[in-house]
Amino acid sequence: MHIPDGYLDWWICIIMYAVSATVIAYSIKKARKEIDSRRIPMIGIVAAGIFAAQMLNWPIPGGTSAHFVGGALAAIILGPYTGVLAMTSVITLQCLIFGDGGLSALGANIFNMAIVDVFVGYAVYKALRKSNTASFLAGWLGIWMAAIACGLEIGISSIFAYKIYVTVPTMAIWHGLLGIIEGIATASVISYIKSYHPESIYVEVTA
Amino acid sequence: MRKAYVAIAIMVALAPLFAWLAEKVNYSEPLENAAEKSGVEEEKALYSGIFPDYTVPGLNPYISALITGLIGCFIIILASFIISKIKNAH
Repeated sequence: MHIPDGYLDWWICIIMYAVSATVIAYSIKKARKEIDSRRIPMIGIVAAGIFAAQMLNWPIPGGTSAHFVGGALAAIILGPYTGVLAMTSVITLQCLIFGDGGLSALGANIFNMAIVDVFVGYAVYKALRKSNTASFLAGWLGIWMAAIACGLEIGISSIFAYKIYVTVPTMAIWHGLLGIIEGIATASVISYIKSYHPESIYVEVTA
Repeated sequence: MRKAYVAIAIMVALAPLFAWLAEKVNYSEPLENAAEKSGVEEEKALYSGIFPDYTVPGLNPYISALITGLIGCFIIILASFIISKIKNAH
């Protein structure tokens, strides 16, 4: 789902950089309340785990592949704002060190995978917290919405001839199916952590 | 914490296997499918990174996947360790 250089019109790149920078700045402010300094190494572990998991491209029969994205997982373990920061660090590292995702599209890639996936995943998890399927649906719907956002961004770009009617359904259908794997992986990890290390899961403090 | 490091190490160790499998099935991602359907070809990147597409110059792609996986995880964990130390010092 990493958009390369050349797929987005320049004005979309600028808007996505501005939107992502604003959300990251707000997340830095909010994350201070969300996590104490003793849990900072946990951010590193979650981010490193997501980076490693994203390197594993699952080959799907039919010639398609997908990799775990991990936005919902980061949000559930770390909290949404710290989750945004952890995912942003992974996507920025992938772009700057490994050239995965275009530099011009970095703002859009952060928006899709570190903002939409994280906040949608967390909202779903929070709404269904008492349900057994909360983390599965969080993982699934988080990546699905991120894929639709990606489809919209490329679909309104001139290089795609504004074929939004092609890009959105293609991204939505494939990631709607592949997202089931993301949901299962998210639910498995959360279930394990809840069973053996429940203190590691973020607990929202209401004022 | 130790179990989490072991899990990360296992995933990095599996990276070469997944790289090989992906090559075997000639995979493409949904984003590439959307580009193909729209008649779009990928342009040359503005910037390719230090290890372009998780490769290390002179090494085969499988060993490269292993090494770049280690490098990526090391950078992230080191950064969080440094931030943690700075925060605790204050």
